[in-house]
Amino acid sequence: MEVSRKILIIDDEEVVLDSCTQILKGEPHEIAVARDGSRGLELVEEFRPDLVFVDLKMPGISGFEVLEKIEEIDPTIVTVVITGYATVSSAVDAMKSGAYDFLPKPFTPDEFRLVTRRGLEKRALVLETMTLRREKEMLRENFAAIVSHEMKSPLSAVQQNLYAMGLALDDALSAEQRERLERMQTRIRDLLQVVDTWLRCVSVDVDAIRDRFAPVAVNAPIARAVESVEPQAVRKNIEVRTLISEPAAVVLGDEGTLAEALTNVLGNAVKYSYEGSKVTVAAERHEGVVDIAVTDTGIGISEEDRAHILDDFYRAAGTGEGGVGIGLAICRRIVEAHDGSMSVESDLGKGSTITITLPTIEVDNVTDHEPKKKAPAKKGPA
Amino acid sequence: MSDKKRLLIVDDDPDFAGAIRSILETAGYETQVVYNPKDGWQALKKNTYDLLLLDIMMGRGAEGVMMARKIRKDRVLREMPVLIITGLREQIAFLFPGQAIHPGFVPVDELVEKPVEPEFLLERVAALIAAAEERKAES
Repeated sequence: MEVSRKILIIDDEEVVLDSCTQILKGEPHEIAVARDGSRGLELVEEFRPDLVFVDLKMPGISGFEVLEKIEEIDPTIVTVVITGYATVSSAVDAMKSGAYDFLPKPFTPDEFRLVTRRGLEKRALVLETMTLRREKEMLRENFAAIVSHEMKSPLSAVQQNLYAMGLALDDALSAEQRERLERMQTRIRDLLQVVDTWLRCVSVDVDAIRDRFAPVAVNAPIARAVESVEPQAVRKNIEVRTLISEPAAVVLGDEGTLAEALTNVLGNAVKYSYEGSKVTVAAERHEGVVDIAVTDTGIGISEEDRAHILDDFYRAAGTGEGGVGIGLAICRRIVEAHDGSMSVESDLGKGSTITITLPTIEVDNVTDHEPKKKAPAKKGPA
Repeated sequence: MSDKKRLLIVDDDPDFAGAIRSILETAGYETQVVYNPKDGWQALKKNTYDLLLLDIMMGRGAEGVMMARKIRKDRVLREMPVLIITGLREQIAFLFPGQAIHPGFVPVDELVEKPVEPEFLLERVAALIAAAEERKAES
């Protein structure tokens, strides 16, 4: 069954309006006609057509102007131009103004039907795309709620029971058993923290971060990130080195989310590094920007994966590591909110460098935020 | 009859409620668990409790909030301290946009996040009960 759509025809020639209406008779569509551009535009607002035929040459406002106005009113409306002097250039110009197709006069009923069908197919695609985009946006917005309910609740219940067991078995557990129980609690706590990080970041409201922007010396979030990954690094005997060129660059941003982004990148570097290797965080100033580069000597990222690792939910195949691949996408979002960019370089099997580039600000002797005296932290501040 | 304090736990997650109950009973409290606000309300009307531990997100939404509001309106029940244990601060913020994290459901309530460490839970429970008894002694 063909869906009923609304078609508007704007043409100053009565005969064109009549014949078009005749041709489409018997199809399930609603037709409206206008004899000039201004009436046509009124009908665009009132009738809300899916497809509009516009004659290019009309008294009053021109077809081109009508096309532009329709684009302003609703860019999803599909437009087709009818042109009596079917020169390539006028058709091209019309297409540039947003027309989807053109129909040279004189046309046969079959030609008109064909163009109509194509135009309506295009409209259906446009509508479908819009629906999908809206669904994607809704999914993103609801993600926080879904994650909190589906993941945090069971994890909380498990953790609460581990706590209860620890308390109830206080006297009964051997040292080794106690340690195992504590390890379980630690792992669940880490997992809950991961979920919290996602929640904060997925529902990250760029404008809200921007409200909190203040001058931040880059050594502060770097130190916080290094501190956060320390436990994992120690476990794998990985040395995390910090190299910050003096004086530390100052950016306009939110220290908390910047630390979050760096923790993600650094955490990945540690996760994908070989035991006993080194991970380096280097902050280097260039003209107007600072490059914060995290380099590891880990498994590296293939060229194919490199193109996607900054996308939502992308995980490189065969890494054998857990996770749903959202960390770097969150970083990208945070970095972009700071008007910065991220880039990836990698040698498969040898290691990778992920660089966050942020615009710096000049701060003359403003030391109220992060005293410059403070040495570039090797370890995080307490 | 012992002089054990009686606590009521209202939470729709039996596993979570069970763990909370275990911690509180290990610490010497007498507890009763119900899994929805309706049973909770009935229990409150029938028995007297020294403290209510209340979950927020139950059933089809923030049913715990409705229950807390009902308690606040009740002349007798409003004297009872309420400890809210909830899964997510954000949910609270979402439910009461523009308000502080601690929205003050009832004059004597307090809010802790799930999961809650035993020491902290026991400390808060003891403090709330003590504060309520002090108020009672004063009046």
